Amino acid sequence: MADHAVPAATPSGVARADASGPSGPKPRHVFSRRNIFLYGTLIVVAVYYLLPLYVMVVTSLKGMPEIRLGNIFSPPLEITFEPWVKAWSQACTGLNCDGLSRGFWNSVRITVPSVILSIAIASVNGYALANWRFKGADTFFVILIVGAFIPYQVMIYPIVIILREIGLYGSLSGLVIVHSIFGMPILTLLFRNYFTSMPEELFRAARVDGAGFWGIYLRIMLPMSLPIFVVAVILQVTGIWNDFLFGVVYTRPDTYPMTVQLNNIVNSVQGVKEYNVNMAATILTGLVPLVVYFISGKLFVRGIAAGAVKG
Amino acid sequence: MAANGTSVSIQDLSLNFGAVSVLQTLNLDVAEGEFIVLLGPSGCGKSTLLNCIAGLLDISEGRIFIKGKNVTWEEPKDRGIGMVFQSYALYPQMTVEKNLSFGLRVAGVPKDEITKRIARAAEILQIEPLLQRKPAALSGGQRQRVAIGRALVRDVDVFLFDEPLSNLDAKLRSELRVEIKLLHRKLQNTMIYVTHDQIEAMTLADRIAVMKGGVIQQLDAPQTIYNRPVNRFVAGFLGSPAMNFVEGQLEAGAPALFKSGSVSIPLDRYAFDGAGSKSGACVFGIRPEHIAFGEAANSMPFATDAAVEIVEPMGSDTLVWTKLGAHNFSFRVEAEKTLRNGDPVRIGFDPARASLFDSQSGNRM
Amino acid sequence: MSKSERPNQIFRNLNAKIASIPMVLTALVVFVGGTAWTVLYSFTNSKLLPRLNFVGLDQYYRLWATPRWLVSIENLLIYGVLSLVFSLVIGFLLAALLDQKIRFEDTFRTIFLYPFALSFIVTGLVWQWLLNPDFGVQSVVRALGWTSFSFDPLYNSSIVIYGILIAALWQGTGLIMCLMLAGLRGIDEDIWKAARVDGIPTWKTYLFIIIPMMRPVFITTLVIIASGIVKVYDLVVAQTSGGPGIASEVPAKYVYDYMFFAQNLGQGFAASTMMLLSVMIVIVPWAYLEFGGRKRG
Repeated sequence: MADHAVPAATPSGVARADASGPSGPKPRHVFSRRNIFLYGTLIVVAVYYLLPLYVMVVTSLKGMPEIRLGNIFSPPLEITFEPWVKAWSQACTGLNCDGLSRGFWNSVRITVPSVILSIAIASVNGYALANWRFKGADTFFVILIVGAFIPYQVMIYPIVIILREIGLYGSLSGLVIVHSIFGMPILTLLFRNYFTSMPEELFRAARVDGAGFWGIYLRIMLPMSLPIFVVAVILQVTGIWNDFLFGVVYTRPDTYPMTVQLNNIVNSVQGVKEYNVNMAATILTGLVPLVVYFISGKLFVRGIAAGAVKG
Repeated sequence: MAANGTSVSIQDLSLNFGAVSVLQTLNLDVAEGEFIVLLGPSGCGKSTLLNCIAGLLDISEGRIFIKGKNVTWEEPKDRGIGMVFQSYALYPQMTVEKNLSFGLRVAGVPKDEITKRIARAAEILQIEPLLQRKPAALSGGQRQRVAIGRALVRDVDVFLFDEPLSNLDAKLRSELRVEIKLLHRKLQNTMIYVTHDQIEAMTLADRIAVMKGGVIQQLDAPQTIYNRPVNRFVAGFLGSPAMNFVEGQLEAGAPALFKSGSVSIPLDRYAFDGAGSKSGACVFGIRPEHIAFGEAANSMPFATDAAVEIVEPMGSDTLVWTKLGAHNFSFRVEAEKTLRNGDPVRIGFDPARASLFDSQSGNRM
Repeated sequence: MSKSERPNQIFRNLNAKIASIPMVLTALVVFVGGTAWTVLYSFTNSKLLPRLNFVGLDQYYRLWATPRWLVSIENLLIYGVLSLVFSLVIGFLLAALLDQKIRFEDTFRTIFLYPFALSFIVTGLVWQWLLNPDFGVQSVVRALGWTSFSFDPLYNSSIVIYGILIAALWQGTGLIMCLMLAGLRGIDEDIWKAARVDGIPTWKTYLFIIIPMMRPVFITTLVIIASGIVKVYDLVVAQTSGGPGIASEVPAKYVYDYMFFAQNLGQGFAASTMMLLSVMIVIVPWAYLEFGGRKRG
């Protein structure tokens, strides 16, 4: 074969994490031993990563008799959506038998205000830290960042007491506050770094133009930072939707978020195990973050890279 | 109170970041309508000083007066200044028109007044066709014009420029330099202009303040600074190609003599500063363009023989490197002259055009 | 109105200070206050309700004499060391593979990273199903003819922690890969050119040039993995509920159970303080290296 260079991977402009393109040595032949090894390995690994998703889906589409007889990897002989319907509207947790839909709507009612509140607080905070440094601000910021590494278990109980004192223990509002608190370190860091990276002269120009703290935030900074807001929304929606610990600690059974309810359905000891319903319920719970993930693509990567590398 | 006719007055201004002293007890009076250039290498504090005047940095000590009013603790918007930034700092999401009017809208200026002021600024700067565009759709030169316009519409007495031409290419830079000069003549505003480019400083300024290490080294008219630099730093910073420096000994007497190796230069025509001549180590400085060569050298008060070492053609003229004593020494000749390495040359100069600096303090003698 | 005197420092940047109130409250009340509160009450014999009845280190003696806690710590150590090693190795290898100017890089990356979008609950339940001895991998392999094949980590207390490890690696290696890939992309392409001009083989370039250059990335990744390890909770709850018996208990679950089920707050506080201590051992040296050296900047 002639010297036939493999075209470079698509340029990736969005994600800062991979802005400069691949940097490894350049492959030469399409069917070289090296390429067969390379793609072979990648495909095997990819299959391994996809397998659980595949098993989830096929299991959820089978009837129980087929599950008992067949193997978990075989495609369904007869596709049934019964388990999905049951998982959504009939599965039981304790005394409630209205399915996961209850948990779904609870999760929506928790996630939406938590995302809005936590991002609103953290973005203003990051802006203040980036552009309006005042004495002592950095100290609180360092405490905040170090605090992000403290195991939640250490702070769980004091927060129970605080919430009880202000009468929000067990309510959705209480959980919203908890999510805003624990989302603050990473989001503040994210916004602070973003606003710091914006040209300082822009901020100075706006001050000479007479805009104040809120004026600059709302009229100059906000319109310029839509991408980082999207990143923050992705980060928070997946993070809060996937939360289990805070849900189980700070809510009551009728306000349990979806993850908690899912765990109760699947791991309940009473009754016959309906694996197909369990898998349907599991997919349903994972659906929201998965959809967010597949739609957001590179922004998701950027979000975790920005959040993690700097953290 | 600041003196009459003074536009900006800075009194004993100091700025410290923690233990680091950035500006040290600066004093500067800028006259009404004057064009002052703050010139210095990066890190000398010139932009910092400008930001202090603008109110974008809180100072540690001292006072700032603008138009006789103490504005030391005023907000930037209340100081009667307009500012032009190096990166233009145009708001990317707004059109040119919105960029120009943002400050006026924030201040609640009536609509028809805003329209009037924008029209005037756009006319002066010839940016009328660009008003509905976003900054991303403008060239560098156009952006800088808009940035100047933003200062213009504020209708202020003092313009602050923070290296406004540094991001432009050489050709545009010289064009806009001329425009800024014309603008100043037209508006008669006070302008304080920060740059590290000595050509900008020389061409634009009524007076230049050369800064280093947070201290103003010399504040004077461009020609004075060029011809009579107060210390070795100012002498070396201004001028391209740079001034020749020869280290040696000064022997006081009548006439005083400068000696470096076998070279001995009589200084009877040199105008010493107040203290007069004093024996000791010193540095003799003379600019390449003040050196005559060939026949012309013999008519100079001081002349000597040398050998050409390197020839650097610059287009309009040629820089020739030789040695004076043990020191590299350059002089300028017309481009037509053909000199080759090793050629013997006769060079000469008038010590009256030289500058002598104390080796220890670096100050002019 | 001319302000000729330096205004009161409190009113400088007043809006910024107001905007920072939530941060200040969170930092001081929740993070510092909450932590101090828990540590303080870990020295009491609080049962159902927190009471300031100090008993010295009694709770800690009891903690370290409780088999369940010892199992938890052992599990955490095994799980921690293995997940650290495997995450870094697999994550780096995947990143290096993806960094070979391959086609479909985005597709592969999307596949390797998607489990990270799923919650630990979902992850745990999927792998509970896959590792189910009656229907999952074990039964499938047996059905293929190897009737003596045995792989039932979730029902075998001696290997149950490895079952959890498999699920955790499936969920988390994509993230590590992304971080590593970002690190690889951050390396100047000229390094590769220089290595090729010098005739250094690819694997040697990685081992002796690239990896040492990625030291900061490895350190941050290490910190991220380590702080995640200590927090591991949901995965165990979903996958095994700590079983069989107490074989897959972890410290985070111990804390939760003692605080909210066993009504033995003192034990829960002592256990959580131990968790804090272990995190500090990782974080403090890192924070010192990361921020201590370049405070001014």
